[in-house]
Amino acid sequence: MHYIHAIMTVNGEAKIIEARGVYKSYGSVKAVRGISFTLSKATCLGFLGPNGAGKTTMMNLVYGMAERDHAPESMLRVFGYDPAKNELEIKYLSGVVPQENNLDVELNVMKNLLIYSKFYGIGKTETKTRIETLLAFMELSDKKKAKIKELSGGMKRRLIIARALLNNPRLLILDEPTTGLDPQVRHLIWNKIRQLKSNGTTILLTTHYMEEAFQIADKIIIMNQGEKIIEGNPKRLLEKHMERYVLEVRNKQRFGLIEDAAPKIVRKDKSSESMLLYSDDSDLLVKLTERLNPGDYFHRETNLEDLFLKLTGRELNEG
Amino acid sequence: MKGSSVTVKPPLYQRLFSVWYRHMRVYTKNLIANGLPPFLEPLIFLVAIGLGLGRYITDMKGMPYLPFLATGILVTTAMFTASFECTYGTFIRLEFDKAYDGMISAPITVNNLFTGEILWAGTKGFFFTFSVLAIVSAFGILSIKTSALAPVVGFITGAMFASLSLFITSFVKDINQFNFYFTGFLSPMFFFSGVVFSIDTLPKTMQWIAEIFPLTHSVRIVRAVCFQDYGRVLLYDLAYIVAVTLLCAFFAIKRLKRRLVA
Repeated sequence: MHYIHAIMTVNGEAKIIEARGVYKSYGSVKAVRGISFTLSKATCLGFLGPNGAGKTTMMNLVYGMAERDHAPESMLRVFGYDPAKNELEIKYLSGVVPQENNLDVELNVMKNLLIYSKFYGIGKTETKTRIETLLAFMELSDKKKAKIKELSGGMKRRLIIARALLNNPRLLILDEPTTGLDPQVRHLIWNKIRQLKSNGTTILLTTHYMEEAFQIADKIIIMNQGEKIIEGNPKRLLEKHMERYVLEVRNKQRFGLIEDAAPKIVRKDKSSESMLLYSDDSDLLVKLTERLNPGDYFHRETNLEDLFLKLTGRELNEG
Repeated sequence: MKGSSVTVKPPLYQRLFSVWYRHMRVYTKNLIANGLPPFLEPLIFLVAIGLGLGRYITDMKGMPYLPFLATGILVTTAMFTASFECTYGTFIRLEFDKAYDGMISAPITVNNLFTGEILWAGTKGFFFTFSVLAIVSAFGILSIKTSALAPVVGFITGAMFASLSLFITSFVKDINQFNFYFTGFLSPMFFFSGVVFSIDTLPKTMQWIAEIFPLTHSVRIVRAVCFQDYGRVLLYDLAYIVAVTLLCAFFAIKRLKRRLVA
């Protein structure tokens, strides 16, 4: 038996993860470049970024699924442990929902959980009650005996989350937990994550969905090409870096006209396919719409996606 | 949280056992489909060759042909079941099902994962050697009492071929490449390791090649165990098996680790 050594506390807040200048390269590809962040107990940190931004690699580094590069100033601590040395302790205290589903299709729902309980050395009776509780929590109780093939995408995802919760983890790592799921399931999963968070579970998340980050993350980090671009509370980041309103012009023939008519204080973002006009003043944008037909434009509040696109660019990042 | 929270990591035996347990549960889910072929195949071979060809062979190395062949078959069944498990089975878990990614997010290391898998393949070797032994002794070909140690030889044979197969798997990028291993290595070995006929009558160079084949050593040990005919050469055989197992396991795990955790 041994004790968690010194979990760093800053302002009385327990730090579950502390990362400083973390690098990871695969051959000549630099997947993670000098990422630093901290994750406080019972909060949710979301990594956002386009495909290939290094989000998953960052998750993998946290629980020892990838080894970070040796760099003199580099530091990574999870529960005070270095993943390069104490992967077992970290994994014992964490639950992981990987990006790709990896259930054992040969076994039914309950047995999938049963075999994983063995990894944590959970006793027989304890396992039984925990499986019951978790299936109820993820609203899968009536699927106990179902084959994996019979489950919908949303059910599989919920089952994997249940599996990640078997050991009552203090840190839950979610790699794109709701990608490809319908809105009902996504909301259900978000509710469950919020519930876990309020019960003291710390959440590390990656996502493409701005909505998801907005719903559950206390702090987001936007990554692009392995680097951290921006970090902060999603709502405050939006207030700070984005105008409140946007006018999307869709009729290409009108681009020139609108561009000339728009006052200087309106920020313009024009590509060959679209033109976006940003402003804190809704009336200014409404005035411009008078020169457009109803189907030519869309006037709305800005969201995290606009910020994301502003920071990471509109071009595809797949190089 | 500080100080008050006690944490343990699961002890080694439990980490190995949980891998073993996972494989056992998944395998036994379709026991008939999974287990019948490796069980029937050696028996069919024994009947076809032993009864068919065996009638023309009065003795092999001073013993009746059927028991000679039966003892060899005991370990080839362990060889094949372990080899399938740790080639196609491992590759599918690694590349298609991504089962390992899930398993190693639980508190086990890659080392534990593959050691557990080798132990599981050894267990399958034990089980199939035992099953085939039970049948052949029911027909009076061997005595289950005097051959009681044969399943143990099945275990070490299974573990050895599991390590060797994992080593091969660590190089394989496309599942079809296993054909080379099975047709190019395991099948010839089946015939030139003293299973079907004694290697003593082969030309000298062929004998040397046979000595390199890992199966030759398993065959010698299992025959010694079944006929209670022990000699000093068995120590060499055992050492050879242990060395092949450890060396292959070491390099296999090292290489597979790079494919799982990079």
